[in-house]
Amino acid sequence: MSHTQDTANVPAASPDAEALPAPVGTAEAEQKRKAARARTGKARFVDFLESYALLVILVVIALFFCFWPETSSTFPTLANMRILLASQAVIGVISLGTLLPLLCQEFDLSVGNIAGLSAIMVAASVSSNGSVLGAVAVVLAIGVVVGGANALVVTRLHVNGVITTLGMSTILGGIILQRTGGLAPASDIPQSLTNFGTGLVAGVPVIFITLLVIAAITYFVLNHTSLGRQIYAVGSNMDAAKLVGLRTDGLRAATFVVGALLCALGGLLYVSRAGGASPNVGATFLLPAFAAAFLSAASVRPGRFNVWGTIIAVYFLAVLNNGLSLAGVDPYVNDYVNGGALIAGVALATVLYRRRTT
Amino acid sequence: MNEQTATNLTEVERARRVALAVQDVSKTYGATRALDRVSLEVTGGAIHGLMGGNGSGKSTLIKMLAGVVTPDEGRLSLKGGWIDARSHTPARAKASGLHFVHQQNSTFPDLTVAENLALGRGFESTAVKSINWHAQKARARQVLDRFEIDVAADAHLVRLSPAAQMMVAIARALQDQDDTDERGVLVLDEPTASLPKHEVDVLLTALRRYAADGQTIIYVSHRLEEVTAITNEVTVLRNGCVASRLTGAEISHDTLVAGITGSSPSSKQGGSRRSNDVIASRVHLSQSAGFRETALTLSRRTPNGTTDERLLVRAGEIVGIAGLLGSGRSRMLKQIFGATPRDDFDVTVRSGTVPPSDMRTAMKRGLAFVPENRLREAALPELSIAENLSITSLSEHSRVGWIRPARERKAAQRLINEFGVRAPSTRAPLTALSGGNQQKVILARWLQRRPDVLLLDEPTQGVDIGARNEIHELVRAAASAGTAVLVVSSDFGELAALAQRAVVVSGGEVVDSVDGPLTEDILNDIVYAQEKAL
Repeated sequence: MSHTQDTANVPAASPDAEALPAPVGTAEAEQKRKAARARTGKARFVDFLESYALLVILVVIALFFCFWPETSSTFPTLANMRILLASQAVIGVISLGTLLPLLCQEFDLSVGNIAGLSAIMVAASVSSNGSVLGAVAVVLAIGVVVGGANALVVTRLHVNGVITTLGMSTILGGIILQRTGGLAPASDIPQSLTNFGTGLVAGVPVIFITLLVIAAITYFVLNHTSLGRQIYAVGSNMDAAKLVGLRTDGLRAATFVVGALLCALGGLLYVSRAGGASPNVGATFLLPAFAAAFLSAASVRPGRFNVWGTIIAVYFLAVLNNGLSLAGVDPYVNDYVNGGALIAGVALATVLYRRRTT
Repeated sequence: MNEQTATNLTEVERARRVALAVQDVSKTYGATRALDRVSLEVTGGAIHGLMGGNGSGKSTLIKMLAGVVTPDEGRLSLKGGWIDARSHTPARAKASGLHFVHQQNSTFPDLTVAENLALGRGFESTAVKSINWHAQKARARQVLDRFEIDVAADAHLVRLSPAAQMMVAIARALQDQDDTDERGVLVLDEPTASLPKHEVDVLLTALRRYAADGQTIIYVSHRLEEVTAITNEVTVLRNGCVASRLTGAEISHDTLVAGITGSSPSSKQGGSRRSNDVIASRVHLSQSAGFRETALTLSRRTPNGTTDERLLVRAGEIVGIAGLLGSGRSRMLKQIFGATPRDDFDVTVRSGTVPPSDMRTAMKRGLAFVPENRLREAALPELSIAENLSITSLSEHSRVGWIRPARERKAAQRLINEFGVRAPSTRAPLTALSGGNQQKVILARWLQRRPDVLLLDEPTQGVDIGARNEIHELVRAAASAGTAVLVVSSDFGELAALAQRAVVVSGGEVVDSVDGPLTEDILNDIVYAQEKAL
């Protein structure tokens, strides 16, 4: 992209000095500067609290379960920690798949069933030929085809994304039912795949490390590349994004496709961990994934959906549920807590964001 | 009809009285006196035109009548006695028979005519309180008959012609007026702004009929032709004062223009400022008198193969686009940039032709566009100031797609200093800034690209006077650095201050051009003269 104004921005002889505070010699000025630094220090602390409120609450809850007599013997054990980390990796990846379209203010309600279909197809594929590479091909195919279909309908036919993906989700549910007859298929998952799903590296579940790697890649693309910036711009104001020359339709389509790919990958991870697939698994992914993606706006970068906020939210909800289950509360309490946490978290994000910008 | 003729005489006599009077109303906003002891008298049964240029106080007066704006002083007489204008409220306006129909947002396009009419007053309901659609439709038909609107009651409003939609809106406002009772006053605010020519006549005919029936109408418009055609009396405002009151045969194009623009150009307030501007623009003119190359050409291919140049802007020149509301002035900018499909003209810049709907290529060719509505079309509210700035130049701040944050922040800091943006930090979200500072960010976003052509739509709308002057300075600086600027503003004072020359747009076409030095009065004269010629 070379045009006439290319040189405009290169700060070859940049007057950077303007940006820096002028050197001041007097003691009075020194004092003022100290005071200012103290103020910014305090402001920074408030900023930190705002940004990591959810993380702080997560730690507090975890500590609570460590010392609460009901759970103090079961919660803070190595085995429980591993289960906690590993069991949420699948939800984590699917949450990232939900996050991407959400950044463009598009809802993808088919995330759960994309993962569900992927799990079924992957299980069938590896059971028949034992090839992990084949499983990866299945993941790619499902992601591209389903995500691409969603993207085309939304950007070309201008159908509301909620409707499109709700319809798509229903269709995928139908395909799952057709292929399985509603029963978990007998599957013969090769050792290499289950080793991946249950293995440890330096005591940490491999599948959790996988989640961190995927999250890190997503984070870098979103926050450190031109592409990610454009996605955030579309989510902030689509009309304005169009008028600064962004390909808004292409960007929205890309988030649908990449989001679907991540969900399909989530299906593969599920098979590797569970050693099989069940036809109903998709439905159980949808709500937690959305809850985590929405809660992400309550942390790290308040008011903006973001990657690390999503990961924190996934584990926040998981610790809460895990601790309560270990304490032996009735299952309905979990529902209360999950729903309440979602609403409270998003409300917190909204309040923080408004406080910052006004 | 025969039964009514007996009462008609007294009816007419009664209607001759004053239907609405306003006395010595003033309103001050900060340092601006929007209304300065304005008095208005509207004769019952008349169509009373209310005219005035931008900033004349016309809309403040209307808002005051609606009870939305509380004046500082003044009296008001509606039905019967005088009241303190400060105690006027929207509820009181409604109770005393003032009906307002605005150009937009007054009807529901997706609902039927019957539903639209019912939403003004409540639905006909059955015994069990569900809507009685049968009775509803019957009542709608009755209203449509009374106002002689030839549409079906169950037609969806969006399917009707614009004039018919406007008439439905009027019928909705007036449907509850009892014929025998004293009639209220219908206030129409720019009712024809979005109507095509032939539709205007349909509406005007209907209005004449309602007036002949005894309906009092206040007709707010900037269209001289319509005002001369249908009004019996006119009040013209200028600078917050009543400039002239005209009745009957006095109402003509010339008397109206004299009232709107002021007969002598050196009015007491703007005189000194204007002469300064004139000098400033002369200086600019002499600076750019060097043979600067053409930066932007709008041309049209004629049927016989030649090209007809409609508009030509040279590098370093600031050209204003003057036109009335609905003249297509904003649309023209969007068409040049490619944001709106183009009618049938070609756009050429130094680096080639600009394709009709491809903003990316337009940007590559050196075009920049600051849209009219900052919030809706320019701001990325949740993004930081640095991110708002770099969005037009991401390739400058990244290497193979990876953004280099230090470089981006440094550039943002430099732009903030250069453009005088008062911001806490480059990381603060755009919404943390005031309107004027947001606008400077948007301007900087484009000017950092050193565009060949800058398209500016209402560059200082909703911006305070200090920021306004700063923005003008920034635009001038860009021009003297070689950017060709094409600016649209509904404030002709702004065009006079900023532009060296102007073109007049009407019906989406360049119809006239004014060589500098510009003044607000000259622009008003020419724009309104154009309106007459059409």
